[in-house]
Amino acid sequence: MTTSATSRHDEFWAGVRAELPLQLGVAPFGLVFGVLGLASGLSAWETILMSSIVFGGASQVVFAQLWGGGVPAPVVGASVSVINLRHVLYSASVAPYLRSLPLRWRVPLAYLLTDEAYAVTINRLRDEPPSPNQHYHLLGTGMTLWICWQVTTVMGVVFGATIPESWSLGFAIPLTFIALVAPAIRRRADLTACLTAGTIAVVGQPLPWKGWIILAAVGGILAGWLVHRHHRRRTAS
Amino acid sequence: MIWLVMIVCGLLTLSMRFVMFSDLAPRQLPGWLEEALGFVPVAVLTAIIVPAVIISPEGGLMLAGNSKLPAALVAVTAALVTRSVLATIASGLGSMWILDYFLY
Repeated sequence: MTTSATSRHDEFWAGVRAELPLQLGVAPFGLVFGVLGLASGLSAWETILMSSIVFGGASQVVFAQLWGGGVPAPVVGASVSVINLRHVLYSASVAPYLRSLPLRWRVPLAYLLTDEAYAVTINRLRDEPPSPNQHYHLLGTGMTLWICWQVTTVMGVVFGATIPESWSLGFAIPLTFIALVAPAIRRRADLTACLTAGTIAVVGQPLPWKGWIILAAVGGILAGWLVHRHHRRRTAS
Repeated sequence: MIWLVMIVCGLLTLSMRFVMFSDLAPRQLPGWLEEALGFVPVAVLTAIIVPAVIISPEGGLMLAGNSKLPAALVAVTAALVTRSVLATIASGLGSMWILDYFLY
């Protein structure tokens, strides 16, 4: 394995640059959350500070809706955990590249490990030569998203009511994920994972507390992995 | 009370993001687990995408007269052809707005 001595500066700004286009999806999400927080009955401060305390888009939306609906606190906590359980898998995926760092780096980088920061930085970690400064890439993607998320949450709280609902800006969220998923489907096993997850997510809609998210994710992973194993066994024999 | 619940949720989320960075976590994942983790982004993101396109806020299936469905298909094509996040979002939002204006 070759190592290249990329500078902290280069890694950080490469992360920022790669993350910026995704903010076109994050920004409307932040605005939507700002609006939704108030509409769910949270105060302006509760809505704004949730974006830095929880810092996880889908889980914040569910938190606001459940809390506003008078759902008991343990159920709200369990729901947020189920929705954010996917981060365990992101954590495992990134850990081999960051585990040697001191705790003062690992804790903030874990805090910044959101869907969109992970999606961008894992490509750099996997596909480009290792560098002693490669963690600055995650700092760049993570901080870019963090700043955008905080600013747009505040904007959503302050100006949100004036954005016409007919614009359907919330649709930018799945579009951002489409931009990440579609090019990543290269093998039959990837397609199997995608189709399985999509089907379970639809069929599982009646499940309480968005239980279909983790069920669809686990089902998709399992299906993709089984096809991958089967295919490899056949090509090996 | 809401602040306590929010802080607990924040700590839970942080701990799930941190867990594998811990010194106590296994050094090396078993090969089968690492293979399986390769399918995580596709499965998780698809699980978020599909309901956002075809499930109504009430939880019902929404196929006919739903401008988001053709718009999402345009976005998938744009993503495959251009590999650009900007082009994907722009084509998807644009298609939805055009369909909503002229057809639905």
